[in-house]
Amino acid sequence: MKQFLKIFKVAFQAINKNRTRSILTMLGIIIGVAAVIMTISAGEGATQQVQDQISGLGTNLLMISTKEEHRGGINVRMGRPIEKKDLDILQKSSVWMSKISPLVAIGAQVIGAAGYVSTTVYGVSNQYFDILSREIVSGNAFTAEDVTTARKFCVIGETIREEIFPGQDPIGRQIRINKVPFTVVGLLKEEGEGTMGQDQDDIVIAPYTTVQNRLFGHRRGYNMIMASALSEDHILDAEIEATELLRESHRILDQDEDDFEITTQIELQEITGNVTGILTIILGAIASISLIVGGIGIMNIMLVSVTERTREIGTRLAIGARESDILTQFLIEAIVLSLTGGILGIILGIIGNQIIFKATGFYIPTVAYSVLIGFGFAVLVGVVFGYFPARKAAKLNPIDALRYE
Amino acid sequence: MPTKKVIETKKVSRVFRNGDIEVHALTDVDLIIEEGEFVALMGASGSGKSTFLNILGCLDQPTSGEYYLDNVHVNKLDKNQLADIRNQKIGFIFQSYNLLSRTTALENVELPLVYDRTGRFSNSKEIAIKALGQVGLQDRIYHKTNELSGGQQQRVAIARALVNDPTLILSDEATGNLDSKASIDIADLFVRLNNKGKTIVMITHEPEIAQFAKRMIYMRDGRILTDEIIKDRSTKESALKDLELTS
Repeated sequence: MKQFLKIFKVAFQAINKNRTRSILTMLGIIIGVAAVIMTISAGEGATQQVQDQISGLGTNLLMISTKEEHRGGINVRMGRPIEKKDLDILQKSSVWMSKISPLVAIGAQVIGAAGYVSTTVYGVSNQYFDILSREIVSGNAFTAEDVTTARKFCVIGETIREEIFPGQDPIGRQIRINKVPFTVVGLLKEEGEGTMGQDQDDIVIAPYTTVQNRLFGHRRGYNMIMASALSEDHILDAEIEATELLRESHRILDQDEDDFEITTQIELQEITGNVTGILTIILGAIASISLIVGGIGIMNIMLVSVTERTREIGTRLAIGARESDILTQFLIEAIVLSLTGGILGIILGIIGNQIIFKATGFYIPTVAYSVLIGFGFAVLVGVVFGYFPARKAAKLNPIDALRYE
Repeated sequence: MPTKKVIETKKVSRVFRNGDIEVHALTDVDLIIEEGEFVALMGASGSGKSTFLNILGCLDQPTSGEYYLDNVHVNKLDKNQLADIRNQKIGFIFQSYNLLSRTTALENVELPLVYDRTGRFSNSKEIAIKALGQVGLQDRIYHKTNELSGGQQQRVAIARALVNDPTLILSDEATGNLDSKASIDIADLFVRLNNKGKTIVMITHEPEIAQFAKRMIYMRDGRILTDEIIKDRSTKESALKDLELTS
């Protein structure tokens, strides 16, 4: 034990004497560890953010739309349009769906007091707000009666308000959508960017009846029907039910395929889960490359330093160091450098995540397993490549080690 | 007065095998060196003197023959025991000093004590300072090796060889890298250490340095050619005077 302490002191002396080399070795480890932590955490952060946004999209959401196929690069509608008849049958017969709203969308120019803006107008029923959990911060949503009577009411998003009523209360004000006058009855709560980066506040919502009659002239079809299942456990029931009802409504024969598509929130989560999974894999690959590069750097410096110190090892052997003394010394040096580098790398990684959060607002949780992988690998490489060359040198005949140039 | 044999070799041979070629570096060398001797080991390159010194210093093992150091049969020891023997009984001085760079004189001299397992030295710093005093470097204790001249670095190496109070000091061309003046100083230092009772064996190429020793062994082709007592030994004064005359 006393011998170990003496060797420990010698190892610390050696690290201190070769400060530049020690710092370079540690730098390799620091950067390797930090890179792994930051890339893996970024992947995890992106995944989490996307998942959060999807669950915030609406509760137990189902989206029913006409089947589309890619042909020659364009989307071709394959089935019959989703129309009033389908909505009626769903509203009348559904037991697993609590809220149902059709959706018609049209690009439009909206003119207000302070100017005009091009946006998308969504024609929906009053239940839309519940389905997508969108809240009204000022004024009210339009009512079921407003929908049946096709009143020219609308609810606008914050982005639209800033453009056409900057700094003003828009409630009760008149706007023109594609030259048709509407009254603003409500203002949506700000949501910010959506999953795909779209602005969720750049939106005007009006009764679908009004949009169909006034903005489309006459159009029977909807872009889709949105619905929410009774609860999360009944999404599948709702999906099966909707499929049966629509097949009936579209008079599809038993042997034929559906001419519509039903997307549920679960499927959305799966799709985006795949996308972010790929993202994590790519980032992981980048991280492994930086680990390998860092590892090679560590190996290099460790190998060079042991080779460079062969004469020193020879001298120590000549004045009476045992093989185990030399090995212990080099092992302690490698462990101290690797551990210090590893810990500094963890700190740098966490700080890096914080900096990215502060600079971009993209929250990156520092994932525990990234810390373990980065730290473990770097320390392993450091110790292995510090230890084995030293073992080789310590086993040398002292005369050969002394003659080494 | 009964004398003690520090070194005794019996028919020591060393053969190096390099592929199919066998090189007989040493052949049947018998030698006894007693306590308090100061031996100069001379010979041309390839005469086997360095091989012999390495064996005497327990850095190498003879292919055949027996070697007793301080009455210990060295051939029978394992690697760790050899390391301990080197640590306790031998002080090695090299031509190229082999000091740790960027390290103070004191730390270099303390180094053998790090590997001492006998626990005979309680205060290594004090002992190292004393050894540095013996070689006249008491005012260079905290200088780093790269801040010292060649002669001073070799003195640090000698202090390092002395610090563990060895039975035998071995020097492999200690003056080989030094100028004449510094060489004479080192040789004089050996004489003074020898006067205090240290047994010294030194390899040298320079006859004027060898002339400081008490006994001169000349080797050729792995054998001892001559082994004689030096009658008119040089002193520092005489050597310096000769140096003035020749330059």
